[in-house]
Amino acid sequence: MAHNYRTDLWVDWCPGCGDFGILAALQQSMTEMNKKPEDFAIFSGIGCSAKTPHYINAPGMHTLHGRVIPFASGVKLANPNLTVIADGGDGDLLSIGAGHFVAAGRRNVDMTIIIHNNGVYGLTKGQASPTLARGEKTKGLQRPNILDSLNPVALALTVGYTFVARAFSFDVKNTKDIIMKAVKHRGTSVIDLLQPCPTYNDINTKEWYEQRVYYLDKDPSWDPVVKEATSEASEQKYLQAIQKSLEWGDKIPLGVLYQNDLVPSFGDRIADHITNYFEVPPALSPIINSEGQPVARMEKIFTDRLIKR
Amino acid sequence: MPLVDIDLIIGGPQGGGIDSAAQIVIRAFSIAGYEAFGIREYYSNIKGRHSYFHVRVKETPVRSLRYPVDLLVCLDAESPFVHMEDVSDKTIVLYDEDLMNTKIEQVLTMESETKKHVLDKLKEGGFGTTIAGTIDFMKKRGAIPYPVSFRNLVVGALGPNKPPARYANTLGASLAMALMGLPAEFTSRGIESVFGKKKEVLEDNEKIVKSGYEFVKSHNNLNIKELPVREAKERYILTGNEAIGIGKVIGGLKLQTYYPITPAADESFFLEGHDYFEPVMGEDIDKENEVLKNASVVVVQAEDEIAAIAMAISGAMTGTRTATGTSGPGFSLMAEALGYAGINEVPVVVTLYQRGGPSTGLPTRNSQADLMFAINAGHGEFARIVYSSGDVPEAIDDAVRVFNYAEKFQVPVIHILDKNFANSFFLVDPLDYSKIKIERWKLSENTENFERFKLTEDGISPMGMFGKNIIWLTGDEHSELGHITEDPETRDAMMVKRMGKLNTILKEIPEDEQVELIGDKNADVTLLSWGSNTGVILSVFEKLRTEGVKANLVYVKLMNPFPSKLVSKYLSTAKVLIDLENNYTAQLATLVKQNCGIEVKNFILKYNGRHTTDDEVYEGIKRVLDKKENRVVMIRGA
Repeated sequence: MAHNYRTDLWVDWCPGCGDFGILAALQQSMTEMNKKPEDFAIFSGIGCSAKTPHYINAPGMHTLHGRVIPFASGVKLANPNLTVIADGGDGDLLSIGAGHFVAAGRRNVDMTIIIHNNGVYGLTKGQASPTLARGEKTKGLQRPNILDSLNPVALALTVGYTFVARAFSFDVKNTKDIIMKAVKHRGTSVIDLLQPCPTYNDINTKEWYEQRVYYLDKDPSWDPVVKEATSEASEQKYLQAIQKSLEWGDKIPLGVLYQNDLVPSFGDRIADHITNYFEVPPALSPIINSEGQPVARMEKIFTDRLIKR
Repeated sequence: MPLVDIDLIIGGPQGGGIDSAAQIVIRAFSIAGYEAFGIREYYSNIKGRHSYFHVRVKETPVRSLRYPVDLLVCLDAESPFVHMEDVSDKTIVLYDEDLMNTKIEQVLTMESETKKHVLDKLKEGGFGTTIAGTIDFMKKRGAIPYPVSFRNLVVGALGPNKPPARYANTLGASLAMALMGLPAEFTSRGIESVFGKKKEVLEDNEKIVKSGYEFVKSHNNLNIKELPVREAKERYILTGNEAIGIGKVIGGLKLQTYYPITPAADESFFLEGHDYFEPVMGEDIDKENEVLKNASVVVVQAEDEIAAIAMAISGAMTGTRTATGTSGPGFSLMAEALGYAGINEVPVVVTLYQRGGPSTGLPTRNSQADLMFAINAGHGEFARIVYSSGDVPEAIDDAVRVFNYAEKFQVPVIHILDKNFANSFFLVDPLDYSKIKIERWKLSENTENFERFKLTEDGISPMGMFGKNIIWLTGDEHSELGHITEDPETRDAMMVKRMGKLNTILKEIPEDEQVELIGDKNADVTLLSWGSNTGVILSVFEKLRTEGVKANLVYVKLMNPFPSKLVSKYLSTAKVLIDLENNYTAQLATLVKQNCGIEVKNFILKYNGRHTTDDEVYEGIKRVLDKKENRVVMIRGA
């Protein structure tokens, strides 16, 4: 019998929350990936979206505000055999955790980051998040937002993410398909997941998005995948994605915006030097030998500190 | 009395090979069968500012330094100014005579505050304000000047085309060792041991050694006697940073994360240089499994200390021995994640090298002022172990131990060290593996509903791991399964479970690993101390014994949970009790008062960032015993 990826907890998001669609898409994609539940590690930061791992019947880690990326990276580094997915809010990943978001683009650890993008800090009553446009006054705000918004897709592209996509949580099937592609990509994939907050964001609502989103892959000429390991090839796809990332307002593109499978993942870069890294990763490497003694020996490893006579 | 007991300082510009000079000295003496110990003092600077190595050589084991020194080797213009008070009767002062007329104003590397302090002392004694003036100052203290033209010697040895500054360190070391009476052969072997067997380098250095020794031979107004060669043992030369790295690797470290910070980064840098190696797997496995022929430690430079500890924490939850290394500013950033490791009972090791604070403070200088912070960092209450080591040999064992503690008790462990320890050089015997034991967590069969936080009598649940069990972790209060709960009864039970581990820890860690009583049971004076001061205190005890004063040391290693009963027992019989630490507020004494109800009334403290030396500890004890002073502040060191 297939593993049931739902836990029996009551899901305590508000009725109509965009997070439900992301949860359903995640659970469906995990079922379709046909792995053992122990092969997954699901991470989250803090906030509404952060409860996601508790609702998924697979190993999960609900971490600290802003720190979901380094927590997720640590498990992947120690055991690269695991499939790692990190869920974070827009405030979590792009404000308090923005430094990690930038660093992750450079590191390219083989994992998937899902930005639950709703423009507000929901669990603390609707303050503006980094993706809310300047001048907007959602109902939780005293005055219109005085900070400019940032563009998660453009930011991800410029700091080196090798897979950048956008999805809309009310289209569960498409979200699931994007998650499947993102997980399959060898390197860090990021999904800007548009996820209305029905309680605090009365501007970017389900209906607001439904009138604007369109699917890039409906256009047969759209091809986001870098085909050659040359700077010209990646630059052309990169510029095309940057241009698409600027489309916001009347039309909002969904789908894979950029994909470059030719950049070595962080694990591959480690394995250049530690050649058996994937076969004997840190988590599976013995530390005691058959005689109960440490396998690492001072006289074998640290001979350069022995005074030669 | 030992035949040989020589203290020397080699001072010069940062980046000018002072390290190599000290390495040559320590290695050469080791090869000749002597014991040596040294500490490096330096500015937060890459090139130019004054740094120095303080080294002591003896026939018997040595782990402390003292002033005044027997030999002062000045490789730059600043050395005579800043070390002029480190000399006394019979100190040989080796300096570059070409710099004789350098005025203090011309020494651009010197800080204006230091210049002023030196100027005041020179003027007060009626001395000139040039290097010649400092030489007169030192002569008045009984020191013996030994002028050498570095330039002439280098040009004489290598011709005019080699830059003299590049050879100042090997020349300085050669002259120093000739003055100490070490046969030239050992100096050459010391140089070879440091620089390797590259032909051109060796040839040049050999000429330098020869010219240094010939100079001393032809200017032997000091009646130098050649030192006897002793039977040499096989030794490793290790810094504190390296000892911790070695202990971690032997203990099974597989993932080390860090963000660059002094004085912690040297450990991770050292690990990066030793991260792929041949393990000793035992007969069967060797034959069976080709892929296990190499083992590794993955060392990751994170984007900041928050990421470093986050990666180490989650990595540990895969069953991997993980650690991160840092110093005060980085540890401050780790505080929130430390609480996460606490509530999730994660076996992670944080190696904390203390340096002068607060804020950036004295980034390259010593301190023991983060003890209270290590014990209290993070909001809320949770079980953690804070464990201290004081010297290189014990640190190797302790680095294995702290992993065992972390996994056995499933708590974060802060291994607290200090800069003096990190930058001290020890000669270490090959490791005795019979003392090394690796102990790991309690495991259980994988079950349908794995309770990673199962309530147990001793507070310790079966270890659940990513990749093996379906577990949930959360920074929120949680159920036995690891799901969020705010249920008051579960909260109470989880608090009792976690905090109750502190008793389990005190019960299960052997007493001699918690605190040691070293020295006479029936002592006239009892010292209370921790960390890198131990060696100094025990060295001073030897001197006190010759004067008929019996002393002992209560040396605390387990700082949290605090071994109150044991410490109370050891302190209760003290006739005169003195707390000695490198901080302003006497933090260990505060811990003792808090946990044992014993009020320490005498203190010898130091917080100027420089290493503690025998002479000032001796003087401090005397001032407490004879002059009834109750707070002595040690102020030595340039």
